[in-house]
Amino acid sequence: MRWTREDEVAALKGLIDAGRADEAWRLLLSQAQDATDAAMLMALARQRRRLLHVGSPPPAPARARVALIGAATTSLIEEPLQLALQVSGVDCTLQASPYNTVVRQMLDPASETVAFGPDVAVIVTTPEHIADWPDPYGSAAEVQRAVDTACDHWIGLCRSLHERTKCEIVLDNFHPLPLRPLGAAGARTPGDRNRFIQAVNAALADRLPPYVHIHDVAGLASLYGAYRWFDPRFWHQGKHPVSFECLVPYVRTTAQIIGAIYGRSAKCLVVDLDNTLWGGVVGDDGPDALLIGPGDPLGEAFQAFQRYLLELRRRGVLLAVCSKNDEAAALAPFTQRREMVLRRDDFAAFIANWEPKSVNLRRIASVLNLGLDALVFVDDNPAEREQVRQALQEVRVVELGADPSDYPLAVDRTGWFETVAVSAEDRRRSAMYRENAAREELRSGNLDYASYLRSLDQQARIAPFEPSTLDRVAQLTGKTNQFNLTTLRLSRSELEAMMDSPDYLTATVHLTDRFGDNGLISVFVGRAEGDELWIDLWLMSCRVLNRGVEQLLRNHVLDRARESGYRVLHGVYRPTPRNSLVRELYPSLGFAAGAPIEGGDHWVLNVRTAAPLPTTIRLAEDALPMLQESGDD
Amino acid sequence: MTERLVWDGVVTVMRETFDDDRLEVSRETTADDVDGWDSLSNVELIVALESRFGVRFHTGEIARMRNVGELVDAIAKRLPDDGR
Repeated sequence: MRWTREDEVAALKGLIDAGRADEAWRLLLSQAQDATDAAMLMALARQRRRLLHVGSPPPAPARARVALIGAATTSLIEEPLQLALQVSGVDCTLQASPYNTVVRQMLDPASETVAFGPDVAVIVTTPEHIADWPDPYGSAAEVQRAVDTACDHWIGLCRSLHERTKCEIVLDNFHPLPLRPLGAAGARTPGDRNRFIQAVNAALADRLPPYVHIHDVAGLASLYGAYRWFDPRFWHQGKHPVSFECLVPYVRTTAQIIGAIYGRSAKCLVVDLDNTLWGGVVGDDGPDALLIGPGDPLGEAFQAFQRYLLELRRRGVLLAVCSKNDEAAALAPFTQRREMVLRRDDFAAFIANWEPKSVNLRRIASVLNLGLDALVFVDDNPAEREQVRQALQEVRVVELGADPSDYPLAVDRTGWFETVAVSAEDRRRSAMYRENAAREELRSGNLDYASYLRSLDQQARIAPFEPSTLDRVAQLTGKTNQFNLTTLRLSRSELEAMMDSPDYLTATVHLTDRFGDNGLISVFVGRAEGDELWIDLWLMSCRVLNRGVEQLLRNHVLDRARESGYRVLHGVYRPTPRNSLVRELYPSLGFAAGAPIEGGDHWVLNVRTAAPLPTTIRLAEDALPMLQESGDD
Repeated sequence: MTERLVWDGVVTVMRETFDDDRLEVSRETTADDVDGWDSLSNVELIVALESRFGVRFHTGEIARMRNVGELVDAIAKRLPDDGR
């Protein structure tokens, strides 16, 4: 019997009726992740409403107040968006504004949206809301003026809302119209509506400030087709911005952008080898017989998949191998087949053995210092996928078909690697992890840890927040879970405000060593209260744990605090499921137990009497050479 | 497809959409008679029916269908005759 939608929903209903809330939430979230049609997503959203009465959802890694502001009707989007956000790891409190009040919501200091105080505002628009179309036969200069006017309008609205609420904004761009009244000549007519839409979208992309994240509806509509994207019946009937057929991608991509703002995107793609990266089984067929590269259609398909993975790698997604093979056999094609696009060096971790894949995925997560929820698993073998699904529910598993030509799309359309800004750090991350693996090797050959640290020849630059580092600071603040004393999530604009405020002492640490550049790896915020300084934020990338950066930064802060006349440093550890690593950080750095406070451990350090701690890291006075790179986002 | 199958399908979809497993309707049932059947859930109902039966309603029908009977008729007339 075919497993139908009703059967799936019935299974979920059964769990809800039986009061088995935890299982029901698990099933609901996995069904919502897989749902492809709007009716299914709607049905699940309805069950979610019932389930909320039965038991609370599993704790989400992030919480956000989300304002939904529609130039169009948003009622049908609200519940699916909440569900999709939950799938993306964001527990949201959602407020929807009354229909078509965008301008007031964003400009009026007394609007419902401003009063709500959102962390994120989602702006739903369509080309129907473009007020001033240019004359189709107007001059190029007239059209450009209309483009500027449209663009100024949106930038002004976004700026106004942001200045009042400091929220991040997710703004729809405009989808292409399915109508072509000028025919083929439209493509050469600047005032043609579709040409105008393209120009406005491009101008928005170039000009919008960094707190506005474009929801690329134009790109989505071109993927799904302009004919399908917009259903004029429901526009005329109820001003619905997107067809029901395309409601799921519309809602899901919106949720994934918000997820990315909160650092919920996956970070590492773990891939199988045989019949996933190449055709054939290397242990049986030998490297020479594998299908990879030109000369065979399947070989070309596998090579195209490798090219896609390389693109991911280049923008900062980590790649890892998890293969059932002898290691020597698994490595052979990388050296013996020049048609391989991916090289051994492209993988931050490479595990080939005969243990269950779930065991190896755990190992990969641990080696790369990632949570299991940061892993995406790609394997052609359905049995392996099932084993991983059952053993490790946090790992996201791509459902691959049998045809390698479809692999790139199967991975791409999940949207699990959504990103809001590709920084230079992202692009370099893979190299940094690989260098880290080399450091680990050096470390195992050096029994004395102190001499190992000296042999690393580490050099650091400590600086307050700077415009050129704010993107990276915001990124780390949004996603660092383990070495994070307070797990305080601050938006880019909040961080920017601290940069300019005399009440805050901010610091970032940029570290290099003889294996390469670790990039900007630590962020610190101290807040003045009279002549005492409270450490509101202290986080660090786990790549550089126990290398002396903790001591170095503590010494630095102590010096700055002394110069500025502070008497006491207050450190607070606020426990989360992920940060037990730093529970004992403050006492290990010479802090003494402070007066009890709510929600955490309180530690204090006397600024006048505390002595510097030893560290082997040298301080660089000027910018480290690689720092220039962070400007080229 | 028989009238009966269309009827059963419509009732199933209505029960799902309005989230009431015990919902009973007749041809004369209107939106006013059903809890939660408003202009929004009506859109959802229309789309769920379109997806289930593979049909496409006319803009005028969406706006003007008055009761369940008209809904069933609008679907039935679009489906291939089952040959009886």
